[in-house]
Amino acid sequence: MTETFDIAIVGAGITGCAIARQLARYDLSICVVEAANDIALGASKANGGLVHAGYDPAPGTVKAQVNARGCELYGTWAQELGFLFCRTGSMVLGFNDEDRAHLEKLRCNGLANGVPELSIVGPDRIHELEPRASADATCALWCPSTGFVDPFEVAIAALENAVANGVTFMRSAPVEVIEVAGSGDDARFTLATPAGNVRCHYLINAAGNGAADISHMAGAEEFQMVWRQGNIVVLDKEPRTLMPLYPVPTPVSKGVIVTGTVHGNTVITATAAVREPGDTQTYASDVNALLTDARKLVPDLDTRRVVRAFAGGRPVIQETNDFFIGQSAVVPGLFQAAGIQSPGVASAPAIAERMELVMREAGVELHERTDWNPIRRAPDDFDRASLARKEELIESDPAWGQIVCRCETVPEAEIVAAIRRRPGAVSVEGVKRRCRAGMGRCQSGFCQSRVVAILARELGCDPSEVLLEDAGSWLVEGPLKGVR
Amino acid sequence: MAEFKSSAIDSGIIEGVATQAFDVVVIGGGPAGMAAALAAHKAGAHVAIVEREQHLGGILRQCIHPGFGLSHFKQELTGPEYAQRFIDQVRATDIALFLNSMVIGIDSGEPTEDTAVHTVTLMSPAGMLQLTGRAVVLAMGCRERTRSEIKIPGSRPAGVFTAGLAQRYINIENLKPGSRAVILGSGDIGLIMARRCTLEGISVEGVYELMPYANGLRRNVKNCLDDFGIPLHLSTTVTRVIGHDRVEAVEVSQVDERLAPIPGTERIVPCDTLLLSVGLIPENELSVAAGVELDPRTRGAVVDQSLQTGVPGIFACGNVLHVHDLADNVTCESERAGAAAAAYALGGGADAEAGAPGAGCQLTVSPAGIAGYALPGRITAVALTKLNFRVRRPVDAARVRILADGEELFTGKVRAFKPSVMESFPLPAKVIQRILDLGVSEIVLSVDPAEEA
Repeated sequence: MTETFDIAIVGAGITGCAIARQLARYDLSICVVEAANDIALGASKANGGLVHAGYDPAPGTVKAQVNARGCELYGTWAQELGFLFCRTGSMVLGFNDEDRAHLEKLRCNGLANGVPELSIVGPDRIHELEPRASADATCALWCPSTGFVDPFEVAIAALENAVANGVTFMRSAPVEVIEVAGSGDDARFTLATPAGNVRCHYLINAAGNGAADISHMAGAEEFQMVWRQGNIVVLDKEPRTLMPLYPVPTPVSKGVIVTGTVHGNTVITATAAVREPGDTQTYASDVNALLTDARKLVPDLDTRRVVRAFAGGRPVIQETNDFFIGQSAVVPGLFQAAGIQSPGVASAPAIAERMELVMREAGVELHERTDWNPIRRAPDDFDRASLARKEELIESDPAWGQIVCRCETVPEAEIVAAIRRRPGAVSVEGVKRRCRAGMGRCQSGFCQSRVVAILARELGCDPSEVLLEDAGSWLVEGPLKGVR
Repeated sequence: MAEFKSSAIDSGIIEGVATQAFDVVVIGGGPAGMAAALAAHKAGAHVAIVEREQHLGGILRQCIHPGFGLSHFKQELTGPEYAQRFIDQVRATDIALFLNSMVIGIDSGEPTEDTAVHTVTLMSPAGMLQLTGRAVVLAMGCRERTRSEIKIPGSRPAGVFTAGLAQRYINIENLKPGSRAVILGSGDIGLIMARRCTLEGISVEGVYELMPYANGLRRNVKNCLDDFGIPLHLSTTVTRVIGHDRVEAVEVSQVDERLAPIPGTERIVPCDTLLLSVGLIPENELSVAAGVELDPRTRGAVVDQSLQTGVPGIFACGNVLHVHDLADNVTCESERAGAAAAAYALGGGADAEAGAPGAGCQLTVSPAGIAGYALPGRITAVALTKLNFRVRRPVDAARVRILADGEELFTGKVRAFKPSVMESFPLPAKVIQRILDLGVSEIVLSVDPAEEA
């Protein structure tokens, strides 16, 4: 079975989803082809959710060009796509004169990269901006434009909006072979996947950690990638959400950052170590380093209240340590967004914007549709709803009053809605990423069996077929002996 | 800065929401909540129980093993049988039941002397409801410590379950969570589940315990492991989870005296399931939101001898207060809390049953030696007071000493102590009076190994 589209986008991470959403406004048939069974299962789910402002990348790099612009676009994107975005501002804390010189350098970078309103502040202002910041900090780079999002929510919202505008989403479709026929404007790509073949006129590679493989399969650039692995820790909710606090960056990473999240948790992100490709294990040494380093920024952090520790790989192009966004120099018609490591989340809307520009300049015809709808209405979030809205919801359907996840106050109706959305959740973790059931301090100890039952009912399958995440991640073997 | 708090925190009387008035509102319908409600009802109070499940009984519903009721009913019962005795009693009264209802907030208003009324806001498929109570009993129980809290490194596949979740899959849902299990932690739930898994055809490769001794009751080690030939590996822990989609194995390592894994002792144990029985944590998010102060040692409320928290009229009992060893002890403690709540609500003062309040009696109690905690943390009445504690490590010979201002005022017998047992030590009224006479405000419950005492 082969379906034909104008454009195929490989990868439903935050980059691919943002590009799909950006291009959905044009009169094009688009298919997003994803190897996993859900959105944002690679680097997009294993990061701290920070929308970095853009003072970090060296001026002139592609990162520098898209980071500040992406951060700027988040306000509009959040409004149109109905995801949570908090622009709290951030501080890079300095503890001595050497740090202060580094902060000055970051400020100059920021100015060159177009980051607004940067200033260096002293201890009184630090305390005023974030009372929990270390009292040992003597200076800080105050950056009002930094913010944070829930990165899965951004990817999911962007793809939901794209799908509502006619984009096709193919899951569990790892690309195995790419055939390129013809050349120049007549090029045609055929992607072979176990879920069926996709033929397209233009191919966009947004495959994250798989981008080098896709480029190789198409006979294009040979990217030498390294797997820069990061461990991340989530702490329980606090009465007040922390402003992102950064240390002075190291040569390879931004260092261990402490930040609030849109749901009121605290995140410590991230270690950086080159490990075997595909390694998403957490390491005791990394987790301990995170907790120790975090307390240097926020001394009163209660690091016993760990809700979750996880890890993921950031796709780094070894040679440049930069993003590659553009048309392949080898295979015309192939457009690449490769090496999208940090600040990939912050840059996503601008990467999409830049990809559109690159395609337009390459002669791809982009005609606006008259029926494009930029708005995605956020699904009801029961926990955050007003009491009046809660009452209304329960009146509309008693299942809104049936709380399944007690830690995050998620009712059955919200879980059902997460499964029925397009594209909907097909796994326990997919439900969690969409409505937070199982995201809380008990880590689904109380609600997992109930979520499994709801998924089995909604998907019309047996509980033994319900997956935690992707293929092979079965949760229960089947009925007990003697049970019919 | 945006406001991230859930709007559920807004409580207080909300216009347009139906309100029902009670003397005592009990939050939680497990063994603690039912015993408290029955005791309050017996004392003449108009009582409500709010329970988030469709059924009363709490976690006992999935504890289908025997071992309950030996002290309370002098008879060995299963968890559901033990619960049913209380369910039947509750059903025979006019205690109002709000099932399938989740409490989203407790508002205590401004503490005024006569009219302090607590408002409990709850949510159910029938909508929102508010209950007012002159007294509230917190009986929400506890949750299980997770893999993340003990920071087990490795991958994050399916097949890692808390023991209680696996128990729910097996005993309530009739589902088999896997074929080959490793159990980390020798707490009672872990031991019970080792036997349960074996009976259901799940091969248990071993129970691994970080400490140099078993954490569960001795009878459970015998009945659940020894009788089934399941090995117990002490001073050993899981140091890595292996498997991308489903657990394929775990790496276990021996630990040194400081509980740190010893390099070179790693061993790979193939399995498809890892069950965790690594501790219980009182579920006090609601209590904290209501302004109740917690003891960092128990992670439960700081209470006085009548089990009243720092918020007047709010009482706590059962595993939400401190983690118990036996359901029978939960029942016993909760009956005291229920009676005290009723006495408070009906105007007699919380100590009406416990004895006359001592004028100006304000003592704090803290643990020392190998005592991990001491409960109650405050004593406000001169009356026989039961002090509960657990030791942090097993000892063959130790004794309890009550100290005030460094002076030993009272001691217990020299005997053995185990961390798995929740101890109870009676403090006579006359000792409390002597402490008051000394003009001291802090007393120390110290458990000291005999040779060091």
